Amino acid sequence: MEKGPASPEIKEKVLAYLATVEKAKSKEIAAAIGEKKADVDLAVKELAFEDKVEYLYITTTFVALKGKVGAPQ
Amino acid sequence: MSEKKTPQLDELEKGQWPSFVTEIRKAAAKNPAAEDLLGLLERSYEEKKGHWKHGGIVGVKGYGGGVIGRYTDLPEEYPNLAEFHTIRLNQPSGWFYTTKSLRTICDIWEKYGSGLTNLHGSTGDIILLGTTTENIQPAFDEFSDAGFDLGGSGSDLRTPSCCVGPARCEHACYDTLDACHNITNEFQDELHRPMWPYKFKIKFSGCANDCTASIARSDCSIIGTWRDTLRIDQDAVKAYVQEGLDIQGAVCDKCPTRALKFDYKKNELNVIAEECTRCMHCINVMPKAIRPGQEKGATILLGGKSTIVQSAFMAWVIVPFMKMEDDYEELKDLLRRIWEWWDENGKTRERIGETIYRLGMGKFLREVGLPPVPQMVFRPRANPYVFWQQDEINK
Repeated sequence: MEKGPASPEIKEKVLAYLATVEKAKSKEIAAAIGEKKADVDLAVKELAFEDKVEYLYITTTFVALKGKVGAPQ
Repeated sequence: MSEKKTPQLDELEKGQWPSFVTEIRKAAAKNPAAEDLLGLLERSYEEKKGHWKHGGIVGVKGYGGGVIGRYTDLPEEYPNLAEFHTIRLNQPSGWFYTTKSLRTICDIWEKYGSGLTNLHGSTGDIILLGTTTENIQPAFDEFSDAGFDLGGSGSDLRTPSCCVGPARCEHACYDTLDACHNITNEFQDELHRPMWPYKFKIKFSGCANDCTASIARSDCSIIGTWRDTLRIDQDAVKAYVQEGLDIQGAVCDKCPTRALKFDYKKNELNVIAEECTRCMHCINVMPKAIRPGQEKGATILLGGKSTIVQSAFMAWVIVPFMKMEDDYEELKDLLRRIWEWWDENGKTRERIGETIYRLGMGKFLREVGLPPVPQMVFRPRANPYVFWQQDEINK
């Protein structure tokens, strides 16, 4: 199923929100910025390819700004 | 090779069975991380304490799964294990390899990792044990050039797996290999970019023998079945009788719904079609005489898992029969609706079976658009999760 490109506005909102938290799940990001979860998933995917965000596993998978969260202590 | 004493590990090389310790020792001759691993493992056995932590890094550029970050908590003493990450590679359907492809995997892994592998992990992936953060991306690039991709990890669609299906088994009621390959390709985003409350596993079994153990080990199990009735060859039944098979005791009495009747006088076996649950027992005992019906497809079950938030669950039937055809569009559409519902309603680290358990099967069925059907319950009033809604009652 072709999903098309992500909205640049939503990508900016995702980055802005992630700057305010250590890490978040896509569902939390969607709720915080008032966008549909599917649109946020798509934005996160593109931002990961652009090396602006990364996925992290800390008991479940989170999204964070690239380099913001270090290795587990 | 290390000169350090490892009395605990030495015990694991005794006896007639293959030993993973022996294999690590072989790898240690060429790789310092494998050598440190022997020391750390011996220490863990002595102290009865694990010295691993995991988390953090999850993939390569653009990926959110397929790499599991692993670190020892004793990096000063075991410096070669300071980073000892696992890479998961998506296995081929049915785990069919050429020796050339296996050699390719091993060669790349000896170049970038410890050389240690685990074929296969419980989800089915090729597990490559032990590499550094620096080597993850170049290892992936080389695996990618060789035609391999990462598998799943974290809160994503885990690598789908299937039984050998029609490639080697006459019982397969649909092409598990093709279905697994097709679904894997369709849901690449879901596999590589974790977006859900927790993990989601799909396993494809060609019949109710369930050789992938999907009913207990996957969130969605797709088990081959048939809609019409068993096909019985009475001449072959008579041959079994002549060979001394106790058909009444070994087949009819062990049929879970007593759907089979054996006529001693005629040496004939008959089935009460509406009583048969298609469990495969009779076919397994008398494969030359009994075959599945002709109208084949799959039963879709949901919610199997091991203990996490709740105890271990066996999967529930949600669709008794689905044809596995037309590019699996019906299955794909159902999976999308299920994931959307779970994503909306699930709590973090809650498997879909646990979400259904918490909110109720009735709510799940209504909101995903599935009708409650008799196959969802063991017998009338045995399971109370399906209720009449107020607007469905004729007062």
